[in-house]
Amino acid sequence: MRSLVELKNNNNLYGYTNWRYKALLILIIGFFAILIVGFIGLNFGTIIIQPEKIWSIIWQHQTDNSLGLIIWELRLPRLIMAMLAGMTLASVGGSFQGMLRNPLADPYILGVSAGAALGACLAIALQYTLKLYLIPYLPFFSLLGALISIALVYLLSQKQTRLSVSDLLLAGVAINFFFSAIITLLLATSKQGTHTMLFWLMGDLSTANWQKISWVILPVFLGTLLLISSSLELNAMALGEEEALHLGVQTEKFRMKIFLIGSLMIALIVSFTGLIGFVGLVIPHIARLLVGPDHRIMLPVSALAGSVFLIICDTIARSLIAPIEIPIGAITAILGAPFFIHLLKRRNNINE
Amino acid sequence: MSSNESIISLEGVSFNYNQHPVLQDINLSILPGQFIGIIGPNGSGKTTLLKLISGILSPKQGKIKIFNEDIDTISRKKIAKMISLVPQDSFISYNYKVKEVVFMGRIPFINQWRGETALDYQISREAMEKTDSLCYAEKGIHQISGGEAQRVYIARALAQSPKILMLDEFTSHLDLSYKYEIVKILQDSLKEKVQCIISVFHDLNLASYCSDQLILLNEGIIEEIGTPQEVINEYNLKKVYRAKNHIVQHPELAIPQVIM
Amino acid sequence: MVHQKTMSAVVSLLLFIFLTSPILCWANTNAGDDLFPVILTDDLGIKITITKKPERIVSTAPNNTEIIFALGLEDKLVGRTDFCNYPPGVEKIESIGMLSPLNLEKIVSLEPDLILTFGGLQAKDIIRLRELGYKVLALDAETLSEMLNNIEIIATACGVPEKGKELITNLKERIDFIATSSADIPASQRLKVFTGSSYEAIWSPGKDTLFDDLITLAGGQNIVGNQKGWVTISSEQVALAEPDVIIITSGIMNPEEIDKMKDDVIRHPGWSQIPAIKKNHIFAANEDLFYRAGPRLVEGLELLYEIFSGIKE
Repeated sequence: MRSLVELKNNNNLYGYTNWRYKALLILIIGFFAILIVGFIGLNFGTIIIQPEKIWSIIWQHQTDNSLGLIIWELRLPRLIMAMLAGMTLASVGGSFQGMLRNPLADPYILGVSAGAALGACLAIALQYTLKLYLIPYLPFFSLLGALISIALVYLLSQKQTRLSVSDLLLAGVAINFFFSAIITLLLATSKQGTHTMLFWLMGDLSTANWQKISWVILPVFLGTLLLISSSLELNAMALGEEEALHLGVQTEKFRMKIFLIGSLMIALIVSFTGLIGFVGLVIPHIARLLVGPDHRIMLPVSALAGSVFLIICDTIARSLIAPIEIPIGAITAILGAPFFIHLLKRRNNINE
Repeated sequence: MSSNESIISLEGVSFNYNQHPVLQDINLSILPGQFIGIIGPNGSGKTTLLKLISGILSPKQGKIKIFNEDIDTISRKKIAKMISLVPQDSFISYNYKVKEVVFMGRIPFINQWRGETALDYQISREAMEKTDSLCYAEKGIHQISGGEAQRVYIARALAQSPKILMLDEFTSHLDLSYKYEIVKILQDSLKEKVQCIISVFHDLNLASYCSDQLILLNEGIIEEIGTPQEVINEYNLKKVYRAKNHIVQHPELAIPQVIM
Repeated sequence: MVHQKTMSAVVSLLLFIFLTSPILCWANTNAGDDLFPVILTDDLGIKITITKKPERIVSTAPNNTEIIFALGLEDKLVGRTDFCNYPPGVEKIESIGMLSPLNLEKIVSLEPDLILTFGGLQAKDIIRLRELGYKVLALDAETLSEMLNNIEIIATACGVPEKGKELITNLKERIDFIATSSADIPASQRLKVFTGSSYEAIWSPGKDTLFDDLITLAGGQNIVGNQKGWVTISSEQVALAEPDVIIITSGIMNPEEIDKMKDDVIRHPGWSQIPAIKKNHIFAANEDLFYRAGPRLVEGLELLYEIFSGIKE
């Protein structure tokens, strides 16, 4: 408690605010925001369950009745997976935007997603044409595809000792194009599988279960922490390539580090949730609007805002026109696109 | 000049860009307490020389030593604690506040997890005060003019507590009122922590005004090194710039000035 | 000559197959004095043990819904999909929504003790339901005989094996009548049949589909019967194949819709010389009789037989 008071007193130093004080505030606000939004989300679905009932189900860990089953096995895993996915997408998106100095970057820009998608679509295609029972192993195929594309982008962008921003971007774009072409081929030729593939490509949280969460939770938290710990260097990168070098950042090694950490996190999450778009692109910008571009504050805010956003989107996706489920990628786009346009307009107004 | 005293020394340094020679056989020894100016026509290798000394580029041949240590053996971070550079132009991707940009000069000294100390904030604020950019502290870097931004970059470079301060055309956006103010700030800093200033100049008169020593580059080789009085003369300028020029003495100071 | 022999061999094999035990989807029924427990294996190869008679059945497959009704088990049915439209009375049962993705919450809230699915697109939801501890059977069919086998599996799973046997016997009688009368028709005398859906590309059911099985049993020859599964066929290929009969299928047998569809076929560019069009042997039928792996397949078989016989006279 005393250190908190100290922090607040050291708040205004020569015109600067103590970073730790801000970070703590954000953590607390974010934590409660997630809890509140998550609890509200548990209410909704095909049937609306009353808050008191939810409270007792959670407190007593009821899984013997159908409501308890719905809460503990269907809604709760989905919400937690949504939280983890939102956290990953937003923090990786924000890091890539800083590392590449490109406000239009998203976590998929460096080719990981295309590989993951190809792995998943290949598994689905094989399932339906060769009648191999591959669906339970979909995450493995997806992860394998993602790792292959990470390796390819890494190899393609290694040019002697130079690794510029454009090298990385071009390699990622090239891999995206190439794999997307193959995916299009699979979509066109696999009649039964097309439906399943499209659903995967639009994002699908319905397969979340506690086992998958246990695999994902540690890497996601660790990765997010690693990214946040690179905030100072990300700030330096935003100044420019040479400026960052002059501030002591080994830009090429650093780029590779962020690329690998971010891509591995994305590979893991995408294997279980499919491709959820817009979160990684728009949430970091919202964070910047709220707290400024300093990555030490912006990345934690991104991560928490991403979690909250995706929990809300998931709740809408499975409740709006129940019993029909809207693919979550559609919801993030519908909510994200207007806001993105608003952002662009604001930028233009400022620049004029 | 004994090499024990020099803080920067270049021996037989050459640099190529895509097989095209940019600098050849550069030999330099820079003593502490000096304001060094680098002049020469476009393409003569001025900026390249600056980048070599700051460690961003590696020479094809030759050795560069900073405080008697081979620059190859010094880590980027350690170099950053000794050398800071003010770029000619800068495009910052995101709209950081001015005070944040200046604060970034402290990055080489801040441990990510322990965070910054009050001293870091103090140094940043003082840097802004010196460059008269404190009034913009809360503004976004995209919202100020080119001249104001240049002062901010100088503030950042000063906040980095450099022993060697390097500048690339630091007055290109500054108007007359600020030009000489900044020069005074730079000269003052030489009396404090900064041990040497190296600046690239396009403006020969300003170079003459500021510098203790001038390096005249011509097509990648050093044409002449010496005081402004020695280097700036009609013969040298005619040879290197291939333009007619007249040299006059400054009415108050003992430095040459160039008239077209 | 060789072609004719192959044709006969195929038909005989088919007869052999559904008169004896089917291979692709086999049931391992535990016969004893008690009807339970039973261990069943479904299309996905998973063994399910059912320990007592199911009282709350959810069907996520229209074909299985029809089988449930045919076995007289409709009072045990507590959930069905929006696509389950037969027989009349099915509307009274609560709907769980679409075929894919399945609404897991709705299914859970109905507290089923047996879930009948058709596999395929529902695979990932089936995995989830099994994770949650439910008994799920995935049953679909590519041939008539597989469909009959599914009836046996469902009847065993629900504790009404006798009813199942009765239903299968009745259906087999009707099938045999047609199969035997058309078994000997040589390939050259079989009517060439074309059916397909046409959106941007024409998709037509080839070998290993229900429709193909029905056409062959009824004495016809599917023009894409030499290709496996659902195939795309170009307008040219259809014209070159010169089908004698064209079957149009529709979900809603609305007369205006059907007339329009017939018209589209007649006016289709390049098809004017096709025998089926010249002689106006274009027939419309309810698609559920041919694509749904339920008892009504036999009705579809009989309809085809009637059409083919009518033409030959």
